[in-house]
Amino acid sequence: MRRHERLIVAAAVLGLFALWEVLARLGRIDPTLAPAPTTIVGALARLAARPEVRASLAVTGWEVLAAFLIALPTGLFLGFLLAEVPVLGALVRPLVNFLFGVPKSIFLPVFILVFGVSIPQKIAFAVFTTVFVLILGGIAAVQSVPRELVLVSRVYGASRAQIVREIYLPAMAPILLESARLGMVFNITAVLLCEIYGARDGIGYRIAAWGENLQMPQLYAALVIVAAAAVAINEVLRAIETRLGAWRQRA
Amino acid sequence: MSRSLVAIRGVSQRFGVDGATVTALDTIDLEIPDGQFVAVVGPSGCGKSTLLSLVAGLRLPTSGSVRCDGEPITGPMPRKVGMIFQEANLLPWLSAIDNVAFPLKLRRVAKPERLAAARRMLELTGLAGFESRLPHELSGGMKQRVSIARGLVQNPAVLLMDEPFASLDEQTRMVLGDELLRIWSETKKTVLFVTHSLNEAVYLADRVIVLSARPGRVVDDVAVDLPRPRGFAMTGSEQFAVLKDRIWQHIKSAERP
Repeated sequence: MRRHERLIVAAAVLGLFALWEVLARLGRIDPTLAPAPTTIVGALARLAARPEVRASLAVTGWEVLAAFLIALPTGLFLGFLLAEVPVLGALVRPLVNFLFGVPKSIFLPVFILVFGVSIPQKIAFAVFTTVFVLILGGIAAVQSVPRELVLVSRVYGASRAQIVREIYLPAMAPILLESARLGMVFNITAVLLCEIYGARDGIGYRIAAWGENLQMPQLYAALVIVAAAAVAINEVLRAIETRLGAWRQRA
Repeated sequence: MSRSLVAIRGVSQRFGVDGATVTALDTIDLEIPDGQFVAVVGPSGCGKSTLLSLVAGLRLPTSGSVRCDGEPITGPMPRKVGMIFQEANLLPWLSAIDNVAFPLKLRRVAKPERLAAARRMLELTGLAGFESRLPHELSGGMKQRVSIARGLVQNPAVLLMDEPFASLDEQTRMVLGDELLRIWSETKKTVLFVTHSLNEAVYLADRVIVLSARPGRVVDDVAVDLPRPRGFAMTGSEQFAVLKDRIWQHIKSAERP
């Protein structure tokens, strides 16, 4: 975006919040449902100072991280396997495609029955939710490797290991990172869904509780925290993706 | 005649396609002396590219033998044979110089050494100053120059070219043809050049091998005795037309259903 475009966007966002503030203070919108932005900022500062809120954020953070560290290698490995072993691919890919389209939330009660309301249950459900997009990403990454570059490398005497390192990895990197980024969105959503649905801790659990008690400033403040964290993770992954995928830009 | 650098003896290549056996090449005998520029032409599907992939060591013949410099070819021999394809096939994430240095990297040549060699090759192919460009920042002709530089970087004795100019426009093709002849006269490589273009074959080569339609057999071996250096004016000469017509007669009869 060019500089003046950024300014316009920033001005529009600020204008929206100003309008919200004014309408809330004038009582034109229900301050219980939509408290003024300044009220939310105040709540945000108080929440951030409370140790039990910080602990909840940490719990959620760990669940997200653990699920991602399990789902990422598992999903990509399965994807590579399905792409490189044609028989396996032909058998399993229709199933993966089918399950990818099914909303995973309907399986949440099953996970609670199997694991109980627990941290392992949240991690397991998040892995289950995330792994399909990573499997499909792994398949797409392998398929994006240009066969003719493999041929060229063979002509120039590349070993199998060199073909993997010099051709497969760089060619797949942008799609792998893109899949990781999408997977992270699914992953965070799954963990929060678990916490909101039934949990003893975690920021999702607190959001649900504040919602039920109509503590709107706290609710919105928590939303701001979660959104900021999710956007930050997404943007970091996107920045790496853009850097490693600069060569993909067409002339 | 000097000793033959590439020796193709009694080579046949058969493929199994849907249960049936297709003979792509049928007892090909070809001796190519060191430093000769040989063009291979023939109707579509006559196995021209198959012949090149045999010399490249990408496949083994069903019967017969292929030797390079006296050594039987059992797999790719990157230090003896360089290959240039129809598409430049550059690694899109590497700069021009890193692409040229790539074969040396595979051989674990130290970085300063391989970059120096790559820089010399880019100079030879007229790309000095474009070292750090990425492939998508180069034109089609420039990409193919990078690909030629990559083919030459290990100083192989043999250069295999599989329709290297077929994806380029007419003007670029003519310029690159002259460039190739200049590079060839400077480096004295043995060139095996597959093409669909009779003009290109006669203009560039010392010798044109004409293959028949499948199964590919050598139906003519035409010595091109046009003087060197070649020039555009020669393409209008009677001698040029006679040679081209002789080759065309073979191809015409083969292409007819």
